[in-house]
Amino acid sequence: MSIRDLPEASRSLSGKVAIVGLGETDYGDDYRASRAKAEGWERPTPEHLAVTAFERALADSGLRRSDIDGLGVSFLYGGPQPAEAAALLGLTPRYLTQVFGIMAGPLPQACAAIAEGKCDSMAVVYAVATRSIGRKFGGANFDDDSGAPPSYYYYHPWGWSSQAAHWAMTWRFYQQQYGRNDADLGAIAIETRKHAMAHPQAVMQTPITIEDYLGARFVVKPLRLYDLCVVNDGAICFIVTRADRARDLAHTPVALAGWGESIVKADKLDALVRGQLRPHYQEAGRQALTMAGLSLADIQHFETGDMSTVNPINALEGYGFAEPGTAIDLCRAGELSLGGRLPMNMAGGMLSGAYMHGWSHVAELVRQLRHEAGPRQVPDLEVSMFNLAQTDQVHPLIFKRGV
Amino acid sequence: MSEPRPDRTLGPRHDMFWQYCGQGELRVPKCTACGKLVWPVLKACDRCGDENFEWARMSGRGKLVSWCSFVQDYYKATLPVPYDTILVELEEGLLFISIPDGFTEADMSPGMQLELRLRDCHDSAGAFRLPVFVRA
Ligand SMILES: [Zn+2]
Repeated sequence: MSIRDLPEASRSLSGKVAIVGLGETDYGDDYRASRAKAEGWERPTPEHLAVTAFERALADSGLRRSDIDGLGVSFLYGGPQPAEAAALLGLTPRYLTQVFGIMAGPLPQACAAIAEGKCDSMAVVYAVATRSIGRKFGGANFDDDSGAPPSYYYYHPWGWSSQAAHWAMTWRFYQQQYGRNDADLGAIAIETRKHAMAHPQAVMQTPITIEDYLGARFVVKPLRLYDLCVVNDGAICFIVTRADRARDLAHTPVALAGWGESIVKADKLDALVRGQLRPHYQEAGRQALTMAGLSLADIQHFETGDMSTVNPINALEGYGFAEPGTAIDLCRAGELSLGGRLPMNMAGGMLSGAYMHGWSHVAELVRQLRHEAGPRQVPDLEVSMFNLAQTDQVHPLIFKRGV
Repeated sequence: MSEPRPDRTLGPRHDMFWQYCGQGELRVPKCTACGKLVWPVLKACDRCGDENFEWARMSGRGKLVSWCSFVQDYYKATLPVPYDTILVELEEGLLFISIPDGFTEADMSPGMQLELRLRDCHDSAGAFRLPVFVRA
């Protein structure tokens, strides 16, 4: 399944489905166990992780197994086919599909399937065993998830590859344009780490100081170790159901209110490095907000893909939460943390929380909108926004508390 | 002396690019329908979708837009790390990934004037000339 199958953002689909069940594996515990390699410890398989996430989501939803009549699966780096996965999970769904791996398409796709009557309650399951298979991001053997080489594959003869290099080029340009130094970027890493430490299952749990940040090794200069996301194994399952069925369940439902999409068609590096994808953020954000019937000022909490510290800066400025060149000031002023104007990546994002291709951001968003996030709960939260932007595309999702 | 580099993408259209480099010319596909310069080499124009191209010769002059240095070894020791990479805006408006020749990141500043050179290299498919940039 390709992300091209993203259903069109339309007002009629807004609020039609809600997330009523959430299950995640224990990223932090699993990461620490994989580092410790204690005797008798075995690396979990994608299948094992998926079952754990699904069983937790099912129990969380309070639905019966037989209520789940739809299943969408994504084993991003390999795993069973949908039919095998259904058997593994003890399901006999009338609607069975593969969903696009990263958290851009799966929930809109589930929404469309439910709206079309293909199923009423769908389990959407994602699992990766990234660290287990030693996946490296960049270099000569990089394979794009779609099987086709991404355009930057082309630059190998110049020694230029890797996602990190994109963000490094982008940051260098931004730094020059707005007069920012390295320590400025560190503010994002340090703040995100603080958020992770308020979430027991975040992978990273030790505080970092600006000295730690600046003293860490460069990966692709000007980006250092703490500018780039963690890599870990895990699985997540969301149970999505028709809004009218979501009301009497165990938890406050979290409604999918809007989504959007903007893909760079030409001159990708220029759009990213010099344009910071701003027109694309604007367009995708407009679609999602229009669909949800909301304005940007209604967004109270932001979970955004942070493959690097540069991504949240692009997103904050792209959507218009901050003027160009000022996202870091927002961070330094505490506006992106509890008590601030737009608490961001409250479970530690990908930088310090878990690298789940955006799925764990939505998991945190669900906890937040249920008002079940404990010490890191954003007060009086009603509307949250999620964003995932790769080098050449932008995907926002908007969620509301209740149906 | 020829320098080892990671493998190029080769194939019918790609070979033309390297053939021109071999002749000391930087040429990129230009859509014959709408006139857009298209880089990297694509099957169809990324503005109008047309599949007919001519090879437009670039002046070789450009200016520095951004740069980054690979410190982590992504290429399994093919290239000694660290090494610098640059993003050059060619005079014709196109952004072009390349490497600096005769200067390093310590010398770099935005807008720096650059000029094309072709460097003798080889990969697993044989010898070729790689477009690199010197200070103008
Ligand atoms: Zn054209």
